[in-house]
Amino acid sequence: MADGVNVGVNLDAFSHAISGIQALRSSVSRVFESLKDGMKNRETLEGREKKFIAEFQDNLQAVNRDLNELERLSGLVGRPSESHPLHNSGLLSLDPVQDKTPLYSQLLQAYKWSNKLQYHAGLASSLLNQQSLKRSANQMGASAKRRPKVQPSTLVLPPQYVDDVISRIGRMFPDMTIELFRPNGTSAVLLVTLGKVLKAIVVMRSLFIDRTVVRGYNENVYNEDGKLDIWTKSQYQVFQKVTDHATTALLHYQLPQMPDVVVRSFMTWLRSYIKLFQSPCQRCGRFLADGLPPTWRDFRTLEAFHDTCRM
Amino acid sequence: MRCIGGSSFYYCQYNICLQHITMRSLVCSLLSCSVCQVPVAEGKSVQQTVDILHKKLEQLAAVKQGSFCVDCETYHATGNVSGQPTKLLYVMHNSETPLSCMALFEGGPCVIADANFDVLMVKLKSHFQNAKGHKVECRGSRYRYCDFLIKVGTVTMSSSARGISVEVEYCPCVVPGDCWNLIREFMASFLGSSVPELPSVFAAKPEGLFAPADCVDTMTQYLELFNKLRKMQIQGSNVR
Repeated sequence: MADGVNVGVNLDAFSHAISGIQALRSSVSRVFESLKDGMKNRETLEGREKKFIAEFQDNLQAVNRDLNELERLSGLVGRPSESHPLHNSGLLSLDPVQDKTPLYSQLLQAYKWSNKLQYHAGLASSLLNQQSLKRSANQMGASAKRRPKVQPSTLVLPPQYVDDVISRIGRMFPDMTIELFRPNGTSAVLLVTLGKVLKAIVVMRSLFIDRTVVRGYNENVYNEDGKLDIWTKSQYQVFQKVTDHATTALLHYQLPQMPDVVVRSFMTWLRSYIKLFQSPCQRCGRFLADGLPPTWRDFRTLEAFHDTCRM
Repeated sequence: MRCIGGSSFYYCQYNICLQHITMRSLVCSLLSCSVCQVPVAEGKSVQQTVDILHKKLEQLAAVKQGSFCVDCETYHATGNVSGQPTKLLYVMHNSETPLSCMALFEGGPCVIADANFDVLMVKLKSHFQNAKGHKVECRGSRYRYCDFLIKVGTVTMSSSARGISVEVEYCPCVVPGDCWNLIREFMASFLGSSVPELPSVFAAKPEGLFAPADCVDTMTQYLELFNKLRKMQIQGSNVR
């Protein structure tokens, strides 16, 4: 038995076998034609009978010959490979009840659809990669040689440049003092003191702001080691809310090509909190809602709203 | 022991500096609060009015967090030039800062010292005499609402209730001028119409309302309240 993948169908013998079948069919039909035609017209009856029998015998021998030939050829053809090229999903196609459980056809459709999706996604990603929105420094790895460089990476900036930008922004606002620390490597951590209202700790990654924690003016910013404590939340609910809003602001002010503009906008927004306890809400006119002052500052107009009043 | 500023005297192995003494490193917390007196409701006793206030606070969803006590003892300064009124030294304790006590002259300098200062006053009895009948106490419960700390207390002098004090502290803000409107709005929500004016202690300071407040200001406000209640008794007004 020819099993496995190696012995495939012998295509030559296959075509010979097909023509052998055709030959057999034609010789069989010749037998029945001669029978149908009957005896040919001859002078004597014996002559006619003899002719008829001889013709009949010739036809039958031709059939016999063709049949033997076909048997020989079919032996050469060989069995088709037992293993299904479709593997397990091909077994689904053997299910005869096609109307009730059209699994195989649905499977084929799903497969074609996912192939198309993958192709389109590849096209879309190549278009989107032309706008560098990623924050990682790993710019595509090996394919970076093939693609032209779109812009210089703003993630690897010299620390001196970062210091200069921060000090320039600090000088812009007189009631806000910004101190820069580098407790872990090259990432800057800023301690922003806003008047006597709050202290914000801003963790940066080159010139991009990573996260921020806002605490009260009288809360402790250093932990027991004397280093800046960048993880503890404020003990006051109002500053926990302001921390949440500041995180929202970080996500709102984004401009990958010009990070110093982003830092400046964020600091301008943060500075509006100098009147955190003095401003009433622009919508309801009151100072307190659920015990909290207006903690939300609109991103464009810097107006004060309660968290529950903002539009 | 650290001394910050002021003049220094030497008495019996104790070094006394006026202004601030920190014998252990006591950190003076910055806070802004207002102490006011609430009039007793018509036809009700002190205890009943206090209960009404407690109910209103609990309706606002404030959480009760224990009790508090503020007391004040009066000492007469002896050895004065005759003709001048006796200077009174007030020594006050606050359960918020249990390890320290404050000694202040009315309108004058103040000392924040260790709790052992009381023992020191005993040793100083030749210079300062304790006016035993004048001890004033204010006891009550503490409530916490969001970032507010509310203390409703009954002021007693010689075990008779003289009045009700309410202290509202807004913890996140250190400058009283910034959050005065906020505190007032909050007080109006449970005190109704008897909302006080801005405490005068802040007006007396050089920068007025916009200097960071600390516990000395709180104690000064309590002292004013106690003196007011004491004067009301002297004038014979009928406060039960």
